[in-house]
Amino acid sequence: MKLFRTAFGAALLVTCLGQPALATTQNVIFNGTITPTCTLVIATNGTMTISPDLQTLSSHNSGGSAGTVTLTTTGGVSLSVDPVTTTTVPSADTTSTTWTPTYSSAGAHSIVETGSATAISTPGADLVSVHLAGTKGGSNRFANGNYQATVTLRCE
Amino acid sequence: MTLFRTLATTLAVGLIPAAAAAQSMSPMRGEVNSFTDVFAVRVFPANPYDQKIKIEIHVYDQDFQPVDARILPAAFQLGAQASRPVLVVVPFGGAAERKVRICTESIPFPNQQTQIRAQICGKFFGHRKS
Repeated sequence: MKLFRTAFGAALLVTCLGQPALATTQNVIFNGTITPTCTLVIATNGTMTISPDLQTLSSHNSGGSAGTVTLTTTGGVSLSVDPVTTTTVPSADTTSTTWTPTYSSAGAHSIVETGSATAISTPGADLVSVHLAGTKGGSNRFANGNYQATVTLRCE
Repeated sequence: MTLFRTLATTLAVGLIPAAAAAQSMSPMRGEVNSFTDVFAVRVFPANPYDQKIKIEIHVYDQDFQPVDARILPAAFQLGAQASRPVLVVVPFGGAAERKVRICTESIPFPNQQTQIRAQICGKFFGHRKS
């Protein structure tokens, strides 16, 4: 009986050796979609100074400085500046001024200073410099007092 | 009718995917189908600064002319690194479809000589289904 039991067990074991395991695998799929996105973080506002001929008030002039903005994007967006519509001038300034906003970019995307819209197709981070220049024509001059202007930097 | 409009608007809002925080505004693209004379978009402006800022939401058409949309809320203070939902309901104005820009605007550092207004605009396309 003992011999029979041993032989039967051995035969059963040999039979099972050829059988595949019942374990199985299943893939788990992950999907992700990123729509165009951008973040603008204003680091510093700009400063305008007057030119020696008193006809240009600009961040490009000596002593002036550009505003700086950090741009982070996935790409697929456009960067632009709006015409300046919001200004404050001293009461002594009664002549018209032409305001010209521009911007340039350094970092993942190099943009030469421009006032036009720029398409950004690739992802990355940039430091955007925003400039503003006000000019007077003819014999007109900037007046003594405080000037303030707002430049709109748009990412869309 | 009002209940139906609300339900349909809610359905349209649900078509916009949920957005993540830590962005200036998301989503920035979207298409919405609506069965009413308005369509709705939910956007998530975010404040990336370490200080509280005032944010305004504006809606423009393709020529950057203001659109008479309902914005809830249109202006608010947002805490540092925070985000919140804003519901924008745009009328079709009799058209079968309408493209609008929804813009998040802020001047985080006012009272400077040259201020910079950061404007993040998303483009949204509403389709009116009959």
